[in-house]
Amino acid sequence: MPARDIAIIGYAQTPSQRDAIQSEVQLLVGTITDAVTMAGIERREIGFTCAGSCDYLTGGPFAFVSNLEAAGSWPPISESHVEADGAFALYEAWMRLQEGDIDIALAFGSGKSSPSNPAEVWAQQLDPYYLAPLGADPVSLAAIQARALLDAGRATERDFAEVVARSRAQAASNPNAQLSGAVDVDALLAAPYHTAPLRRHDLPPISDGAAAVIMARGDKARELCSRPAWIRGMDHRIDPHQPGVRDITTARSATTAAKKAGYDGGPLDVAEVCATFSPQEIILREALGLPEGTQINPSGGPLAGNPVMAVGLVRVIEAAARIIGGSADRALAHATAGPLLQQNLVCLMEGE
Amino acid sequence: MSTDSPARKEEMVMEHLVSLTYRERLTPNLNRFVDRILEGELIGHRCPSCSRVYVPPKGYCPLCVVTTSAEDEVKVSDRGILTGFTIITPVAYYGQQATDPFVYASVLLDGASTPVGGQDITGVAHGRIHTGMRVRAVWRPPAERRVEGITNRGWGGLDAVIESFEVTGEPDASPEDYKEHLF
Amino acid sequence: MTELRTSETKLEFPYSRTTGPVIGAFLAGLREGKVLGIKGADGRTLVPPPEYDPETGGYLGVELVEVGPLGTVQAWAWVHDPLPKHPLDHPFAFALIRPDGADSAMLHAVDAGDPAAMRTGLRVRPRFKTEPTGLITDLEAWEAAE
Repeated sequence: MPARDIAIIGYAQTPSQRDAIQSEVQLLVGTITDAVTMAGIERREIGFTCAGSCDYLTGGPFAFVSNLEAAGSWPPISESHVEADGAFALYEAWMRLQEGDIDIALAFGSGKSSPSNPAEVWAQQLDPYYLAPLGADPVSLAAIQARALLDAGRATERDFAEVVARSRAQAASNPNAQLSGAVDVDALLAAPYHTAPLRRHDLPPISDGAAAVIMARGDKARELCSRPAWIRGMDHRIDPHQPGVRDITTARSATTAAKKAGYDGGPLDVAEVCATFSPQEIILREALGLPEGTQINPSGGPLAGNPVMAVGLVRVIEAAARIIGGSADRALAHATAGPLLQQNLVCLMEGE
Repeated sequence: MSTDSPARKEEMVMEHLVSLTYRERLTPNLNRFVDRILEGELIGHRCPSCSRVYVPPKGYCPLCVVTTSAEDEVKVSDRGILTGFTIITPVAYYGQQATDPFVYASVLLDGASTPVGGQDITGVAHGRIHTGMRVRAVWRPPAERRVEGITNRGWGGLDAVIESFEVTGEPDASPEDYKEHLF
Repeated sequence: MTELRTSETKLEFPYSRTTGPVIGAFLAGLREGKVLGIKGADGRTLVPPPEYDPETGGYLGVELVEVGPLGTVQAWAWVHDPLPKHPLDHPFAFALIRPDGADSAMLHAVDAGDPAAMRTGLRVRPRFKTEPTGLITDLEAWEAAE
């Protein structure tokens, strides 16, 4: 059993912006500093640092090395990098804390989607033999998934639009959101298709951004934070890569990850899920077994701001913030990677 | 079936060219640096905490992790010390345009704490280049300065305005002056 | 605020990938106008053929089986504005297509002309390139077979 006394005690994120003026490292400098300040620690107290980013997105081989400058890497620090969302960096840092010899860890994630064409960059994560030569972009894949959901009678296009309307309405209270405000479902449905059956509003915005989280163990967490967000379990599971060999109307690995993270289907105050396209929220709600009454994506979720490589870690932050702030006692955060919810990470958190 | 009709050579290897284009605005600090080099001036940011001077300015000090801004701007010399070098004999890999051996040197400009990398060294035979040599910038004529290749990525693109650094013939600098800046 | 210069960078990574006895044989099949699959550990016929079982990770050998040529659309999306890297330069459907005799579906393009001509369950046939290049796009597209 993993240790159950590791908690989130500090966090920070940039607003999601269509075209940030700062470099990716500059976005991180302020964000990591803010997370360290919130945690009330000195940088040198951090025993392990893990970063998440994507060189194809940043636009340079080994671009992730520069990002480390924002963590303060002199004198030399113990660190690692994942070519994935910051939520997966959080997972590695959480695993490192399990070893028990350090008390504090930092995880961060960053990405600027504005300089490139995300549809082309994201095709690079696909199998290079059967999928990448087709230029299979994430929007087309998500639209196939949406069609499968419609064909199975599990959702309607109105359901998709309702997810969007709720996300944007909830984002109105999120200062970091890029898209927010009241939208009328009928007006959304009157819009033309982008990639049928998806309309533009079913897609996430193109965003730049960064996020950072500080975790601490046991008494250290209690000393530094009056109400830490205790991580009761975290798990990461993977489905087969090829979309044609699995049922894309569900996400089996999300179901497994939720169970292995210790989620029993009981009451949840908040769930922040990485539903990058509106139909995926419907899939995740079922796959994760979210009960009625759970507030889903109160921040607005990825449909309100999608800083790729930070967006999953932002889900963890939004869930943890509600526990630390006292408005939630039990929260679930979800992050994803790969085509069509292939990889899924679930983090279950509670107040004391 | 594959055992009795093995794939032909054309199917045994597939070519896959990843080609991606990035367009973005220069960061304000780099844009300002470009304004200055077009006028033949080199600037950096001095860290308000440790006083190190970064050229080109990054907008932060990676050692202190504090942000820097136009208020921290300082001018540095176009003369300096050759702190490290290699001579590359190019192989014809994809995208390599050079055919003859060339110098790839780092120069610590007077007044800077970080060397500028990837510079050509002239006025001396390749075999006689050594660290510690004093060098000065050979600026391209103003009309020939092209800065379109300078991006937020990469290491500054100084070659857009400075053709090379030529040795001055002054006595070599003492290793004490540059031992912290060898890269 | 000063107008900031815009920079453009093009990154290219040329890869030569060894295709091996399974993927290579599949690609060789396309050159001959055949679609090939492989038997998974559970007896399912998987197309395109993986080298390892997607469920168990077990080795599947190199014995391929021919499927199709006709197939059925399992799910699809209409691409109104094709990207330069898409297989067709005019509007088309990206679809999951299950070739007859296969138990899985493959992602590919359906050259249907108009979204009104597309539906889940549509019977399609493969159209092969006359000048193959050794890629999965040697199967140029699927087209309606009704």
